[in-house]
Amino acid sequence: MKAVNVGIDLGTTNSLIAKYEHNKVRVYKNPIGQKETLASVVAYRTDRILVGDKAREYLTKDAVNVFGGFKRKMGTDEKYYVVNIDENVTPVELSALVLNELKNFEQSAEPLEACVITVPASFDSMQSNATLKAGQAAGFKEVFLLQEPIAASLAFFNASEKVQTDGYWLVYDFGGGTFDVALVKSTAEDLKVIDHEGNNFLGGMDLDFAIINKIIVPQIIQQTGIENFEEAFREKYGQYEMLYYQVMYYAEEAKKELSNAKATVIDFSATLNGKNYDFYFTITKEQVDEIFLPIINDTIKLIHTIIENNKLTAADIHQIILVGGSTFLPQVREQLCLQTGISINFSIDPTNSIAVGAAYYAANKYYEPAVVESVISNEAIGTDLLASIDFNTINIELDISYNRSSRDTEEVLLMACSGQYENSFYRITRLDGGFDTGFINLKAKKTEFLPLLPASTNMFALQVYDEQKNIIKSLSKEINIAQGIYNIDGQPMPHDICIEIDDLENKTTKLEVIFERNSLLPQKRTLYREISKTITKGAKESIIINILEGDRNSRASSNLTIGCIEISGKNLQSDLIKGSDIEIQIEVNDSRVMNTTVYLVMTQQEFKNVFSVSEKQINITRLQEQFLQLENELTDTIRGFQYNEDKIWEIKCDTLLQDLHSMKTTLFKLKEKDKSDEKYIIAERMTRISQEADKLGGNERIALLLEEYLHFKETVLEAINMADFIKDELRKDYQKIEATENATLKSKSVSVIENKLKQMDDLYWKALSNTNSFLIQRFIEYKGYDANYFKDYSAAKSIFKMADAVLEQEKYPEFRRHIFSLSSLLIRANHNYNIDFKGTGIG
Amino acid sequence: MTTQLQIINQLFEIQSKINALSEANNFERNFNRLFSIFEEEGFTMQDPTNETYSEARTDCEANIVGQAASNMKITKTIKPIIYKKVDGNLQLVQKAVVMVEKK
Repeated sequence: MKAVNVGIDLGTTNSLIAKYEHNKVRVYKNPIGQKETLASVVAYRTDRILVGDKAREYLTKDAVNVFGGFKRKMGTDEKYYVVNIDENVTPVELSALVLNELKNFEQSAEPLEACVITVPASFDSMQSNATLKAGQAAGFKEVFLLQEPIAASLAFFNASEKVQTDGYWLVYDFGGGTFDVALVKSTAEDLKVIDHEGNNFLGGMDLDFAIINKIIVPQIIQQTGIENFEEAFREKYGQYEMLYYQVMYYAEEAKKELSNAKATVIDFSATLNGKNYDFYFTITKEQVDEIFLPIINDTIKLIHTIIENNKLTAADIHQIILVGGSTFLPQVREQLCLQTGISINFSIDPTNSIAVGAAYYAANKYYEPAVVESVISNEAIGTDLLASIDFNTINIELDISYNRSSRDTEEVLLMACSGQYENSFYRITRLDGGFDTGFINLKAKKTEFLPLLPASTNMFALQVYDEQKNIIKSLSKEINIAQGIYNIDGQPMPHDICIEIDDLENKTTKLEVIFERNSLLPQKRTLYREISKTITKGAKESIIINILEGDRNSRASSNLTIGCIEISGKNLQSDLIKGSDIEIQIEVNDSRVMNTTVYLVMTQQEFKNVFSVSEKQINITRLQEQFLQLENELTDTIRGFQYNEDKIWEIKCDTLLQDLHSMKTTLFKLKEKDKSDEKYIIAERMTRISQEADKLGGNERIALLLEEYLHFKETVLEAINMADFIKDELRKDYQKIEATENATLKSKSVSVIENKLKQMDDLYWKALSNTNSFLIQRFIEYKGYDANYFKDYSAAKSIFKMADAVLEQEKYPEFRRHIFSLSSLLIRANHNYNIDFKGTGIG
Repeated sequence: MTTQLQIINQLFEIQSKINALSEANNFERNFNRLFSIFEEEGFTMQDPTNETYSEARTDCEANIVGQAASNMKITKTIKPIIYKKVDGNLQLVQKAVVMVEKK
C-alpha cells in the first residue's frame, strides 16, 4: 500500500495541485509561467486543445469552442457542442482535461496514480460521482473526494500549533467568481460540514466591476463629456472594447494596492473618438470601502443565515477561517469582525489552502499501486534482447528534424509520424515558460514554428499523449536550438572580446568580457562604467579604452589588443571628474570590423573609432604599465615557488622574468609617436611571456591550485558561518563565486584558478572584518602598535577610547565602525611598484 | 524580485509615455542605461508590441479586442515580458499584459 499524498482543488475558476512529502505540503507550480493556479477553462481551437490561462483569453470571444465554469454542471446531462471538432463534450470530460493538465505540473518521472479531489459542500451524490469519473478519466487509478471546507479546515489545523479542536468553525470562501460559507464541527477525531450557503455569482470580480462602474467610468465621463459613454463602454465588440480591458486591469491593480495603502493613483492614456486623453486620478481606501460594502454585506448576510438556521450564536463559533483571494482585502476582514463579532483567522494562505488541506488528507489515504514492470535501460540490454522485445503496445514512430542553430526569431520543426498515431496528441513547450502549443493531433506530416529568444539556447520539450492525454514517455524528445550563439552559416567569435578596466584596490587592471567566445557576429553592446580618475581640461593625462581579444580570465598582457582609444585632457571641453559616467558602445560587424563609440556623460562628448581587427593598436603608456604588472606577477610567482620549494618551476619562471627585463630599457624609452615596429615586437614578446607563465608547472601546478581552492573554500564557508554581520550578503557573494566554479575547475588555466582563489580570498577577509572575535583581535593588535604606524596618532588614540567604551557595552556595530576607522588611519607598507598607477581611467 | 519587477514595469510605463512626446530621443540613452542595469542583474525586458500573437504565446496574457482570428497582432502593451537568467538559462518571471487585434 502506498500513501496517496496528492491533493487537488478542482475549482470553478481556478484549480491547484499539491503534494504531501517530507512532512510538508508543496503546492506545485505550472512549469509554463510558474503560477500555482490553473484557470479551469478548456479551449478547442481549430487545430489544438488549450487548457488554462491561454484558454481563458478566448472565453468571451469564442463561446462555442471555449468552456469555463463547467464545475457547476457536473452531475447533469448537459453537453457542450464544440463547433471546431463537431462533437459534444461533457463537464466530466472537460474536468478530466483540467485534471490532466494539473498532472503535468509534476515533472518527475514518477507518474501520479492516485489523488484526493475536493468538491463543494453543496455537491450531491451525482455531482460527486461525476467528479470521481473525471479523476478516473484523467488517468488516476484511485480517486478520493473531500469537501472543500474540510480541506480548508485541515490546512488551518495543520498550520496551527496549539488549537482547540472541539467546536464550530466557519469556513468563509470568497474567491474570484464564487462565494461559499460552511459551518464545520470538529471533534478530536472528526471534522464534519454541518451546513453551507453560497452564491455562484459573487466574487472578487464584482469588486473590480464596482471600481469601474462607480469610480472610473464617472471620471472618464466627467473628463471627456462623451454622451452615452457608459452604454457604449459595455457594448460587446463596441468602440471602447480596448479601453474596457485596459480599465479592468487598472481596477484590479488598484484593488490590490488599496489592500496595503490609503490611496492609489490610476494613470492611463487612451484615444477616444479620435482624441487623446490622459486620465490621472486618485482613489482612496474610503472610496472603495464605501462601494465594496454592499457586496461584502451580501456575504455576511449568508453567515448570519447559516448561524440562525443552525440555532447557534456568534459565541458558539470559535473562529472564521478565511479562504479565497478576495479575503486579502482588509475591509473584508474588518467587516467580518465588526458585523459578526467572531474572531477571524487568516494564518493560512487563502489562495491555496484547499489544495494544501487536500494533500494533508491524502497523506493518510492509501492505495494499491500498479505493478511496475522492471525498466531496463537501453544501454543495459544487448541488441539481440532488444530486438526480441515486442514494442507493439506503442506502435508510433516519430521523427523530427530542425536546425540546431539559428539566426532567425523562429525555426521550423518538421515532424513525420507513422504507425497508429490517430487519436494521439503532441505538445511542445519552451522550458523558459514563454511558449506552449497546447494539445495538437498527431498527423503523418506536421510543421511547427518554434519562436526563439535571442542570444540563448532555446530548450523545448516535445511530448506525445494518448487519447486520454496520458503521456507516452518513450516518445518524448528534447529540442535545443541555439539562437545567435553559434551557427555554421555565420561567423562565431573565436575568442572572448574584453575591455581592460582598473582594479584600483590592487593597483592593477583586470578584464571584463564584452562578447563571449562563440557569440555569433554581428554583435553590439553598450557598457556603462565610471571614470576612475579626474582629468582636467587640457591636461596630458588620459583615459584609455583598450579592447582585447583572448581569454577573459587571463591578465591583459596575455591578450591581443585589437582596439585602443585614448582620450586626453586636450580632447576635453571641460574637466572630467572622477565618478562621472562613461558609455562605451562596441559593435562588431560580420567582417569583424569593430566600431567603438565612447560617450562622456559629464562633458557630453562623443568619440568614434572604427578598428579593423587586422590592425594592431598599441598604446605605449598602457604597454609600459602592463609590463610592470607582469613583472610584479612573475616576481610574486617566483616567491610562491620559493615558499613551496618548487625549484624547477622557480628557475623557469626566473628565466621568463629575465626575458621580460631584457626589453625594459627599450620599452621605457619609446615615445607614443614612435613609428618603428619596436612596440609591436615588445607587445608580442610580452604576450608570449605572459602565456608561458600561465603554463608553468603544467598539470601538477593546476592540480595543486585546485586542491588549494577546494580546501580554502571550506575555510571561507566556515568564516561566513562565524560572521556576526551581513551574513546573508556574504552567503550571496559565496554563492555567486560558486556559481561559476564549474567553468573554473574545467578551465585548466592557472590564471583562471588564481583569479577564483583571489575572489575567495577577498570574501574571506570581508567575512573576517564582519566577525566580532576577529575585530577584537585586530583592535588589541592596533593598540599595541607604535605611533609611527598611524597617519594621525592622536585621532587613533581618541578612537581607541571610544572603541573601548562601546566594546564594554557590547555595542558591536559601533565597535566595528571604529575598527574600520582605525584601519584607515594605518600607514600601509606600499609595494615599490605601481605607486604611480595610472591604469585606464575606467573603473 | 517583486520590487525589481515593479521598478521595471514603472520604467516601461514612463518610457511608453515619453515615446509619445516629441523630445523622446533625449531620454533614449538614459532608458538604455537603466535597462542595462537590470540586465546585469539578470532581468531582460521585452516589449511585444506589434509582434504577431498566437495562442501558443504563453509569455503574454492577452485581451482580445474585437473578434478572435487566426492572424492577430499585439497592438498595445500594458505590462512588458520579463525574463530572468537563472543558472545560465532564461526563465519567464512576468507575462506581458497585452491587447491583441486582428491584423
